[in-house]
Amino acid sequence: MEQAQQAKTTAVKGTDTAREVRALVKNIYRSAHEAKAEGKKVAYMMVASQYDEILRAMDIVPLPTENYAGLCAAKRDMDRFLLKAEADGYSQVLCSYARIGLGFDSLRKELGHIPEGSPDGGMPVPDMMLGSSAVCDPRFKWYQATSRYLEVPTYGIDVVAPPPQDDLNAVRDYYIQYQRDQLKGLIGFLEAQTGRKMDPDRLWECIRLGDKAWQLWYDIDRLRVAIPCPMPSQDHFSIMVAGHYYTGTQIAVDFYQKLYDEVKYKVDHKIGVIPDEKYRILYGGGLPPWHTLWIFNYFESFGAVFVIENVYRGYDPVEVPSFVKDPVDFLAWRAFLRFTRYHEKARSRSGNPIVEKLLDMIADYRIDGVVFHACRSCRATTIGQTHIKSELGKYSDLPMMQLVSDMVDLRDYSEAQWKAQIGAFMEALEGRSRG
Amino acid sequence: MPFAGMDIGSTMTKVVIADEQEKILASHIGPTGAEHRHLALKVMDETVKKAALSFDALDFVVATGYGRINVPFADRQITEITCHARGIRSLFPSARIIIDIGGQDSKGIKLDETGKVANFVMNDKCAAGTGRFLEVISETLGINLTDMGDLALSADGFVQISNMCTVFAEHEVTSRLAEGAGVAEIVAGLHEAIASRVVNMTRHLGIEKDVVVTGGGAKNQGLVRAIAGKIGFAVLTPPEPFITGALGAALVGMDFYSRGVRPAKERKKEEVTFFS
Repeated sequence: MEQAQQAKTTAVKGTDTAREVRALVKNIYRSAHEAKAEGKKVAYMMVASQYDEILRAMDIVPLPTENYAGLCAAKRDMDRFLLKAEADGYSQVLCSYARIGLGFDSLRKELGHIPEGSPDGGMPVPDMMLGSSAVCDPRFKWYQATSRYLEVPTYGIDVVAPPPQDDLNAVRDYYIQYQRDQLKGLIGFLEAQTGRKMDPDRLWECIRLGDKAWQLWYDIDRLRVAIPCPMPSQDHFSIMVAGHYYTGTQIAVDFYQKLYDEVKYKVDHKIGVIPDEKYRILYGGGLPPWHTLWIFNYFESFGAVFVIENVYRGYDPVEVPSFVKDPVDFLAWRAFLRFTRYHEKARSRSGNPIVEKLLDMIADYRIDGVVFHACRSCRATTIGQTHIKSELGKYSDLPMMQLVSDMVDLRDYSEAQWKAQIGAFMEALEGRSRG
Repeated sequence: MPFAGMDIGSTMTKVVIADEQEKILASHIGPTGAEHRHLALKVMDETVKKAALSFDALDFVVATGYGRINVPFADRQITEITCHARGIRSLFPSARIIIDIGGQDSKGIKLDETGKVANFVMNDKCAAGTGRFLEVISETLGINLTDMGDLALSADGFVQISNMCTVFAEHEVTSRLAEGAGVAEIVAGLHEAIASRVVNMTRHLGIEKDVVVTGGGAKNQGLVRAIAGKIGFAVLTPPEPFITGALGAALVGMDFYSRGVRPAKERKKEEVTFFS
């Protein structure tokens, strides 16, 4: 069962449309440089912050710093930025996305220009930085720390969700009101920065485009229940670019429509990722190993395909009540409904929404095994992962494995160890399938 | 019908030849060096000789361990997780948890009711919780590695060693010595620290009886006692813990053979060194 090592760091994609994502990524950074040249406003931003459509509605060009860190890792050009941040005093256990961002901004300040040969031309100096509490604490503090290197205004938005044991009917109004206030505070800040008022009609249009794109993304993921699987997780980690960094644009809608058509064709014609799909794997959680995405192809060499994943996913569609007529209210409602999607189910069984989501995936996608990725510097997705794995084990007897490295920092990765673990995991799957 | 299993570990190469009754016909242990192929063949030749067989009489050869890829005459390469599970299942049918403490890694393996691997965990890229940890510290203390276990058993209590990084633990040991702590108590503390790490790792699988400790670490009675103390009940150890992986490899080969799998190619009884 042993397979030869691949030389490249990126993964071979399963769909043609996913191969077009590279151009979308390049366009993010090119657009930011062009916007700066044209005098438009550019903002450092973060995924899942619930403000994407607001930025688009106000013609602010988003510059996603986390994506840039992933890009540097995929290009294996991360060390100079990580080491610079560490030399500036940031700990090696701080989020490596943040360390790359801080290191990049520090180097750019020190050099007086974008570091030579930075991936995709590097990031221009933004006009503002929009932090967010969604997902983890470094995302709230990162841009405040970046103020050491950049003299641009920073705004942090609080993104909230109630704990699963709460009675949603009792807390809903409070949470939505608070989220609405947070979004309105952000809009006030953006209006001050841009010098113009936000147009609600324009925001509605961006929300409509955002929801349409995310509905298509959801529909694509539902197609992936097919056997053989038409689109693997390594494609997900590319195609998410449209959903997370082009939210509220026609570009995202067109991209997902094209991808939907391709995936549907593959399902209709039973075209799988690999010719002989033996095992269907769930990527149970943890940020992807951007430095070594070819590992998904390594699994495929054993006949194992990652058919679905629980990270960087589009939210399941939610139905905001029709009495909500204000677009900011809509965003607050939508955020609440998105984040509480699995709460009731959790209360009735495991108590953990993530476990419930994974159990649904295991059933719907006919999963044979679950793989987690523990990232040393990502507390948000790693702390609790062992607990989730162990809780999942109470309701499922599938083989599970936890690989350890980091999303970006190669110093935390050991190829020999991963291959040893993967080999044993594949043998466990094989033994199980033999009965 | 003889089946051979070869386990190329980080420090030792082990070969077992077993028959279809799962009885060990012969075994041999030799050092692992950089020249895996060369040494693998030597250890295999010795074992075949001990079993009074010819190499061609072997019905199936399975290689395992981290050097398994470098065995040109193996019919299959199988990971040590699967092989340890198979070997222990043969020796202890009641085993549900295996703790394997090798030279450079340690593993926890959970077996299902049929003895198949249900789940596993491995220590990450770190010497803590491995034989190498004790080896480094034994050099610092000037004690033979093989004496470490008995020394730990002779201690009156233990000195807390909080640092599991091998490099930092070495510093900590030196500091404790300077403070006047007893060598036996320090060594007992090191065993406690390893046991803590390995047992905590294995707890991810859910510990249940019977627990078998194997690998080189199982030769160390101080470590076995510390592990049992952490788990809260007695653990089992194989009569010859070094060779359970190789035994498992031989039996995995037997399983292949009984399912009708035959060696796909003529075996290359190749003696290659990396320097030739």
